[in-house]
Amino acid sequence: MTQEQRSGRPDEDRARVSRVDAPLRGPFLLLFGSAVLWLTLGSALSLVAAFKLLPAGFGSCEWTSFGRLEAAARNAFFYGWAGNALFALNLWLLSQLGRFEIRNGWMAAIGGLFWNLALIWSTVSVIISGPGAYALLDFPAGAGPVLAVAFALAGLWPVVAYAKRPTGHSFAGQWFVVAAAVSFLLAFVLAQVTVVWAPAAGVAQAVAHSWYVRTATLLWLGGSALGLGYYFVSKVLARPLHAYYLASVAFWTYFLFAGWTAPASLIGSPVPLWVQSAGVVGSMMMLVPVLLVGLNLLGALSQEGGWSRAWNSTALRFISVGVVAILFSLVLAAWAADRSVNAALRFTSFAEGQGVLLLYAGVSMTIFGAAYAALPRVSGSRWPSAAAIHTHFWASFLGAVGSAVSAFAQIGGASQTMAFVGLVSTGLLLAGHLAFAANTFATLLKGSPAPESHPAQD
Amino acid sequence: MKNFRYLVLGALAATALPFLGLVVGAQAQLGPLGRAPAEEGGPLMPPLEPGQAVQGREVYLSLGCVSCHTQQVRPAGQGRDIAGGLGARPSVARDYVLQPVVLLGDRRRGPDLANYGARIKDDDGVHRAILHRVEGRDQFAFLYSGAKHEVPSDRAIALAAYLRSLRQDYPSPEAPLK
Repeated sequence: MTQEQRSGRPDEDRARVSRVDAPLRGPFLLLFGSAVLWLTLGSALSLVAAFKLLPAGFGSCEWTSFGRLEAAARNAFFYGWAGNALFALNLWLLSQLGRFEIRNGWMAAIGGLFWNLALIWSTVSVIISGPGAYALLDFPAGAGPVLAVAFALAGLWPVVAYAKRPTGHSFAGQWFVVAAAVSFLLAFVLAQVTVVWAPAAGVAQAVAHSWYVRTATLLWLGGSALGLGYYFVSKVLARPLHAYYLASVAFWTYFLFAGWTAPASLIGSPVPLWVQSAGVVGSMMMLVPVLLVGLNLLGALSQEGGWSRAWNSTALRFISVGVVAILFSLVLAAWAADRSVNAALRFTSFAEGQGVLLLYAGVSMTIFGAAYAALPRVSGSRWPSAAAIHTHFWASFLGAVGSAVSAFAQIGGASQTMAFVGLVSTGLLLAGHLAFAANTFATLLKGSPAPESHPAQD
Repeated sequence: MKNFRYLVLGALAATALPFLGLVVGAQAQLGPLGRAPAEEGGPLMPPLEPGQAVQGREVYLSLGCVSCHTQQVRPAGQGRDIAGGLGARPSVARDYVLQPVVLLGDRRRGPDLANYGARIKDDDGVHRAILHRVEGRDQFAFLYSGAKHEVPSDRAIALAAYLRSLRQDYPSPEAPLK
């Protein structure tokens, strides 16, 4: 990866980097290590769930009924993998950009510990006694407060790093990450109150739930991923982003509109019509930040051989796929919010396909790319296997695309062939995640310091 | 965006505004909604749920039925729910006022259940449906005993009572039956 070395910023001298990275080591490795364990567990659960949809699927066992497996896999992926990984990477990114040396890293570690304990409790409870009514809020009522406190301890460090940065200068990547962290905490607490502790009246629960799902998905996961995207596109290409003066408009419109898209998932449902219409308008409005983010990031990638340089950098290869997938899934969401289109797509597998694009091809790929750059710097050892990186890229990429294709092909009705394609794709995702996990833990266990701070070797 | 406070307060406001608009707004409109007769002097609808159905909802929840079954009928202009025979009228918010947890669902791998109780003829049919037999395998056999899974457990009986209680075939002030 000589290209990334060349493209490193001159102001980033080694002593600085290691002084920022050294105190991060403990919490970062704890959070990221547990993220990778959740990723493999979640993928394994998804594979078993995909089996259950085939007629020859497992027999009758309460613990492996489809609804429970699906809920457990979703939580493992969302909170276990993406949540933990973003704790680690967002902290790392903002420490880098803000020259922040974390002093109380043990607080992040304690937060991570409780986050994981609450998630283990939730997963066991979902498998043994069943999920609740609302996806992503289907853990035991007692786990909610633990998760909120754990998030405050582990997830708010980017905000501290941003507040304490020595210079007044700031960069779009930082805005996205800081805003993602504070949005999620507020959304999680409000959702716990209105859906779990003091449920809203009747179908208003469904409105609250849809708002939480969109906010957590688009603002926390999507916002963080775009923040990482802004940083790595500019860093690896070693040039300013295209039309960077529009980045603040992109950022504010993204955060202002995302929450209003929520009721687009309730079109035709027995909720007030004005609520549904707000969702339609919000989803269309999201095309504004999609266009601007695309102009910033894809514009930069399209200049002067940017795509081929992205392809030759491990980090940016994953991240450019991720950014394209996030933007494409938001365009699809706006299209599906049209009432007549929605009439045909609602309740079908369309939303699954769109979710796979957003989360597996989008957010997850972006996290992988950022991890390929960050982990060697923090752990001090290089990625041991280039073959595993290639396997990981192709298996995750084809697995995500295959899962999305399988979902989109079954909009008109379930098909055995396409269910099988979905099963194979889920298997590919698991294979890619296992390759990544093996590589990650080999890096963590090796512990020999790298001579240079390589983002990755390729 | 040099001002830290701007950024954090702005992000909090961007998160809270849709909550205030959508969730608090919907709660303000739907909170006072209660049971009501379709016409003056008529019975209050929706009807109270039998106790066994209340227990059955817990079984429905614990088995994750909501991941494949919806409980809502869209209006005639929005999809083919009514034309497809899922119900005689669209679902309205008042239909759900007695439910502690609303199980609208958003995926139809299986049939919609909003009017399941109105469609089904007898208990045997309900239990056959709960078993989910695919190519000779009963997916939910753990709810039954006996060689042919013909003896329902207490949970299966409660779940069947819940499913039979699902019906939106009464007239409602917002959605009269034609």
